Amino acid sequence: MEEKNERALDLHCTMILDEYRAMEPALRRLEKWAYHRIKEAIDKAGLMVTACESRVKTEDSLAGKLELKGSKYAFLNDITDLVGIRVITLYVGDVDKIAAIVESLFNVDWDNSVDKRLTHSLDSFGYNSLHYICRIPDGAYEDPECPEIVNYRFEVQMRTTLQHIWAAIYHDTGYKSDVEVPRNYLRNLSRLAGMLELVDDEFSRMRLAISDYRRKVQGMVASGHFDEVPLDGDSFRSYLALHPFDTLNQSIAAVNQAEIHDISLFPYLGVLQYIGCKTLGDVEKIIKEHGGDAYRMAVHQIGGTDIDILTSSIGLQSLCNVAMVRKGGGVNDLEKMYEILSGPSDYNRHRAERAMGQARLLGIAAE
Amino acid sequence: MEVKVISPVDKVLVQIKGRVDTTNAAQFQEDLTFIMQGDMKDIELDCSELEYTSSQGLRVFLMLQKAVQSRGGKMVLTNMQTQVKEVFDITGFSNIIKIL
Repeated sequence: MEEKNERALDLHCTMILDEYRAMEPALRRLEKWAYHRIKEAIDKAGLMVTACESRVKTEDSLAGKLELKGSKYAFLNDITDLVGIRVITLYVGDVDKIAAIVESLFNVDWDNSVDKRLTHSLDSFGYNSLHYICRIPDGAYEDPECPEIVNYRFEVQMRTTLQHIWAAIYHDTGYKSDVEVPRNYLRNLSRLAGMLELVDDEFSRMRLAISDYRRKVQGMVASGHFDEVPLDGDSFRSYLALHPFDTLNQSIAAVNQAEIHDISLFPYLGVLQYIGCKTLGDVEKIIKEHGGDAYRMAVHQIGGTDIDILTSSIGLQSLCNVAMVRKGGGVNDLEKMYEILSGPSDYNRHRAERAMGQARLLGIAAE
Repeated sequence: MEVKVISPVDKVLVQIKGRVDTTNAAQFQEDLTFIMQGDMKDIELDCSELEYTSSQGLRVFLMLQKAVQSRGGKMVLTNMQTQVKEVFDITGFSNIIKIL
């Protein structure tokens, strides 16, 4: 049997609670509208968030609030968190971006909004979250069944994932404020809040550093300074945008008048690293030194067939085969290379032996 | 060339037999139209008895894969004979079509 909380509410609070019951359907419609406006704007801005959630305050929660501080509210619409929306971000900086979005969508009641991040003294740590109390802008929303809903405000909470974790665990302790928490637990909670704040800052710093690195690499690749660019995911992506294997592909395809179907060459990053390429300059060197042999090897494979469709990996695949063999690699190395590319399979051995056989036949590998 | 549908429900299993070449690639494509136009998401093409595929056959596999992926599905080619797999390797199709 469900246990019902019996609250000691006075007549005034009981009337507010009755008003809530009458307004609840309209509050749910407002919740839905506000949520969708925020969610749509976040998606449009291309921001990645951990969660965007909404709720209407439950009757039990409202009764609890009224029991504690009912005299503070003259009417139901004095309560600003009947409808609540929470946006949880990955990074600290994104909280301010979400805030800017919310400011553009609704009228923020600045007197009642609070930035908890600014409320701590210099030597204290705790709940960090940005709370906006919002009003519906004129004409932005109407509810024919309940026109007075436009006079209600709602709350939007914005915080990072780590801030959210801290808040959720703090809430789970059951204490409503710092003064209730036993001193030794309060100290631990503060330490954890401080640590999470540091971690949040570090993640943001890391994101910024990665963005800076990507911009730098893009610039170096575009200006052709390949020897100075380490071969990694970012640099290889920028490099592929220059279509460095197109000339070789087209030469090979021309032999059979084949069409070239474009595919991602990104999986070859691991293969190039296995071959020993450390910079984009090393990749360029492979094209320059082994392009001719790669062409011969590919033509040897397709020349005697009627194949007239190839993928854009044809040149790079052949280059990798030749480069591996030229640096003294054997069947085992070729097999490993295919494993990096396609995953483990018994067939990789057969493929490696075939490639080595062709390389020997063409004089690319020693007999 | 023969296309045989073993299981048309949930996971679709199709057996391909014989050679796919210029003479029958159009028929091959037509035989697989039900996959391209259907809403099945889990497709297995059993190639154990596929003896040869020409470029036209590769194009059909590619079209099939695009159709299945566009509806969030997965297509896999299984039990492929070595000489057929070599065609997929040489052309680079084994980099984009899942072969088990």
